[in-house]
Amino acid sequence: MKRPKALILRGSATNCDIETANAFAYAGACSDLAHINEFLSGKKSVLDYDILAFPGGFSYGDDISAGKIFSVKLEKIAAGLEKFIKDKRPVIGICNGFQIMVKAGLLPQNKGRARTATLFTNDCGHFLAKWIKLKVNTKSPCIFTRGLPSEIELPMAHGEGKFITRDSKTLATILKNNLHVLTYADNPNGSMADIAGICCVCGTVFGLMPHPERNFFSWQHPDRKKVKEALAVGYQFFKNAVEYVR
Amino acid sequence: MELLLSKFSTLNHKQLAALDKKYGWSLNLLELEAAQRYFKKLKREPTRGELETIAQTWSEHCKHKTFSGPVKFRSGRKVKRYKNLFKETIVKATRRLNKQWCLSVFKDNAGVVEFGAGGKWALAFKAETHNHPCALEPYGGAETGVGGVVRDIMGVGLGAKPVLNTDIFCFGRLDSKMKLPKNALGARRIFDGVVEGVRDYGNRMGIPTAAGAVVFDDGYALNPLVFVGCAGIIPRDKIHKKVSPGELIVVIGGSTGRDGIHGATFSSANIAEDTSNSAVQIGHALNEKKALDVLLKARDKNLYSAVTDCGAGGFSSAIGELASECGAIVELEKAELKDTAIEPWEIWVSESQERMVFAVPPKNLKRLAEIADGENCGYCVLGRFTGDNKLRVTFKGESVVALDNAFLHGGIPNYEKNAVFLSPATCNLPPKKIKKPYHQVLKSILSHPNVCSRRSIVSQYDHEVQGGTVVKPFVGPGQNGPSDAAVIWPQAATGDMKDFSGFAAAHGINPAVGRINPYLMALYAADEAVRNLLCVGADITRTALLDNFCAGSPKDPQVMGGLVLAAEGCYAAAMGYGAPFISGKDSFYNQSTDAAGRQYPVPLTLLISAVAPVEDIRKSFSMNLKRPGNPIYLAGTARKGMGGSIYNELYPSGNNALSGLDIKDSFKLYKALLSAMRSGYVMAAHDISDGGFAAAAAEMAFGGDFGADLCPELCFAESGISETELLFGESPSRLLLEVDKKSESDFLSLVSSLQVAKAGYVNNRAELIIINARGKELVKEKNAGLLACWERDLL
Amino acid sequence: MIIEIFTKGKYAKNEEAGFAKKLVLAGLKTNFLKVSKLYLIEGVYSGAEISRLACELLLDPITEDWLLKPRRCVGDNIYRVEIWLKNSVTDVVGQSVKEAVADMGLKGPKRCRFGRCLYVRASSELKLKHAVAKTLMNETVNYCEIIKV
Repeated sequence: MKRPKALILRGSATNCDIETANAFAYAGACSDLAHINEFLSGKKSVLDYDILAFPGGFSYGDDISAGKIFSVKLEKIAAGLEKFIKDKRPVIGICNGFQIMVKAGLLPQNKGRARTATLFTNDCGHFLAKWIKLKVNTKSPCIFTRGLPSEIELPMAHGEGKFITRDSKTLATILKNNLHVLTYADNPNGSMADIAGICCVCGTVFGLMPHPERNFFSWQHPDRKKVKEALAVGYQFFKNAVEYVR
Repeated sequence: MELLLSKFSTLNHKQLAALDKKYGWSLNLLELEAAQRYFKKLKREPTRGELETIAQTWSEHCKHKTFSGPVKFRSGRKVKRYKNLFKETIVKATRRLNKQWCLSVFKDNAGVVEFGAGGKWALAFKAETHNHPCALEPYGGAETGVGGVVRDIMGVGLGAKPVLNTDIFCFGRLDSKMKLPKNALGARRIFDGVVEGVRDYGNRMGIPTAAGAVVFDDGYALNPLVFVGCAGIIPRDKIHKKVSPGELIVVIGGSTGRDGIHGATFSSANIAEDTSNSAVQIGHALNEKKALDVLLKARDKNLYSAVTDCGAGGFSSAIGELASECGAIVELEKAELKDTAIEPWEIWVSESQERMVFAVPPKNLKRLAEIADGENCGYCVLGRFTGDNKLRVTFKGESVVALDNAFLHGGIPNYEKNAVFLSPATCNLPPKKIKKPYHQVLKSILSHPNVCSRRSIVSQYDHEVQGGTVVKPFVGPGQNGPSDAAVIWPQAATGDMKDFSGFAAAHGINPAVGRINPYLMALYAADEAVRNLLCVGADITRTALLDNFCAGSPKDPQVMGGLVLAAEGCYAAAMGYGAPFISGKDSFYNQSTDAAGRQYPVPLTLLISAVAPVEDIRKSFSMNLKRPGNPIYLAGTARKGMGGSIYNELYPSGNNALSGLDIKDSFKLYKALLSAMRSGYVMAAHDISDGGFAAAAAEMAFGGDFGADLCPELCFAESGISETELLFGESPSRLLLEVDKKSESDFLSLVSSLQVAKAGYVNNRAELIIINARGKELVKEKNAGLLACWERDLL
Repeated sequence: MIIEIFTKGKYAKNEEAGFAKKLVLAGLKTNFLKVSKLYLIEGVYSGAEISRLACELLLDPITEDWLLKPRRCVGDNIYRVEIWLKNSVTDVVGQSVKEAVADMGLKGPKRCRFGRCLYVRASSELKLKHAVAKTLMNETVNYCEIIKV
């Protein structure tokens, strides 16, 4: 079977790149871990790939605000990205990746990539890493979460994850179209409507704050019961993307 | 002063001392005289840069001249002499144990041991302190401390990928009533700043900070101790470096500035009110991450033949070290500078952060430069290595330093230090009876700052980045159980998700014991570290240790006496557990002038860090109780003595005795338990330490959804032991184990000849009940109530 | 020039409460506290370029606003406290901004520094200075300027 090409797009201090690449590779993709500089210089093109992932981390130190500098760099390859998305090739942004996508106007999806939402400092005021329960919106068009149970556990690890929309209309559109793919069972950061992850209308562009690559195998879970099944819910996110493009 | 410098070789003692004070070298008279003799022989006067280089290279921080120097230890009428204390204790154990799996010890930036199956990988481990900077600027001090130890791992062999950070803090008590001197920062300020610094740097570097400890004790009110550790994974064939003449000196990472002049000499001096500000820096994690990315790419393409980090002493020690067996020519004008207002000698010794130095064959320079450009990482070619064993440093053709390696690295004079130790009086009477019921005592112990939850700290660290933190700081269904050790599965370093090799990392630290008996402190600390590793199922027959000593002034014979005893304890522990030390570090002069004008040193503190392999991380253990009906066993013998315990701090019992520790017995016990764990008979294990039996049982209970019915009196104990000692005593070498009911008889046959006895059962009521042998309830408390006491936000 | 960025009122509560809590620990109770971020950018830019810098780089358009001058705070005994890193100390954020300005296709600034600014009501400047020195800055690495609004 064909191994789809997954681009794991990194910048300086994108820290979750290797485990994300490992996750896509394990799920059957051919992972290419590449620096944004290679695309800015024209050496590589995003259109040569089937799947695009923005991994977590602290890109460019998260200086100014989380994901901001990376999103400014993305401007130069915006045309390629827009084509990639128009082709319905899957795009996932995890944690810092989600922050980058929101700050680049890729999510919430809108014409002209206007900024209609943000991810703001957690209500607690600082970085917070813990495992949380999430509700999966089974009515959502998201291709990454297909087949998941209605409640899952993933770890979160962020300082700026409070999802805020520009206005109530933006939020209403998200809720009406079931674009809120994941919501927190117990809101840890003050996000509007408990939102932990959103997607575009056709379900191929997806961003989320928690880390599916960190609950990929059962032994990554803090409650070390004897589990027969090696794979955990996080695997499904990556497998779904690979199967979608096959 | 310039005048004095130009007549250096003819100065008298008083003038030498004045010069040293003025320039902040922290060189003693013997050393200054050795330098004088050297330049007399050369028939010329030194440059400022040369004396600065000597001061850096010979500093306590770089040379560890106290620990590796001669000591005369007097104990009663007996006198014992050491030529080199470090070599005759800690290093001696490693040499005698001669473990084949130790690949590189005590010579590189970190110790290196074998890792995983198949001989492809190795593990590097190192811990150091960053105490002085943290006292002045906690945030920046902690940041640059983390940055420094990470660079040690990046600079070991040809470079390892960091996969775990550890952090151990000793602070003054947050509720301290102590009056501080005008300029000192309070414990709260230091605590907040240090945690934020470790958080911001570690998180930005993408290294999980997943193991550590915090000790609150007013002995640290003026001098906090901040230990930072790092473990990395390196290909087995890349653990050695070799510089060849003709190779280029290439520096990558941050640029060089006036910040960080004199860090090494500063950390070898007492903190004074007028301490120079330039010794404190703010970290730049992004630059270090770029340097790490460049380094790993270049390493895997074999583009360089040696690397080391710029730490204390900056270029002078990094290049000096790499060139120590060949020589080098350095042209300082080629350095990337932060600002131009900098003297040439300052470029040479500046400790500006986030810089690595490579030895690069000229043909590889272009490819290295391409990688650096691709990662937006700065680099410069500073000169080349030679074969003439001379270190020549110039700035635009003018000589800054021209010294012989032999003198610089071998010329340091040393003198014998006196050591004595006067043991404090100990009392072994039964602990005083108190009115407070046991369940309330337990609750107050659980909420003691040295026992309570570290969640408010740990949750600020990205402790699961790299996706390999298998046993996390908090385990169990509600993540309420405090782990004994971290288990790391370095998939992000090996890139192999089908290789389940991992390792565990843990610590032992107990300054309260050290106040009574430094020898036992070392034994207890090593024992606790080994036991912690055992609790997660690590192969403790392959434990590797790190020692980190912190003390006051080595000029105080009592300080040196404690150090000698603790070092001897390290030797005994290493031999007993078959656990070699692979690297170590010491920090002296952790003392300040208090508000009343007296010298206030930290208590002698020894941190023992330990790593051991976990063959299959899928089979590692967590400490929370798993299934009602399972029996709970207590392994080891409860012994008399409340010395150094949390109980004694809260309710002084009059008894400050410490029980001895029979390492041979303990190790035999641990090995049997390990084989029971490997056979699948054990469901959970937890060590008994701070707070004793009752606290350990409570943690196992609220770590999960189940409770326990226990009777410690039915287990092995020294005869005549009191109820207080049984419940809250902290005698070492004990663990609690939940055994799978189905395998109980198999378990018992494995441990039949050992001191392992049933203490009770897991219950399904989420309630901890502890009774005595007559059936009287000593403790009866719901998990929720215990958890509520333990779950305190320290931050 | 100094671009002052501040969080819009309805999103600023947590941050303000955090700063106020720290000041209380140092013995200063206040019923008025506002926080801004300061970006000192040295370079010659047109009005349109400055606006781009602020809106497309420094500002979060959903939660923040910007000014080229200090904010207007009405009331008695309000002080403006600027806290900067000393020039000799590495300014990580400043350096990042400097590079990001170039990423936007604008000419790179000569120098960038990042600072914080507080507007606080206090009974006396001395008391405020003491509280700030005890909690929000460290004279080893920072310097601050306090002026009455």
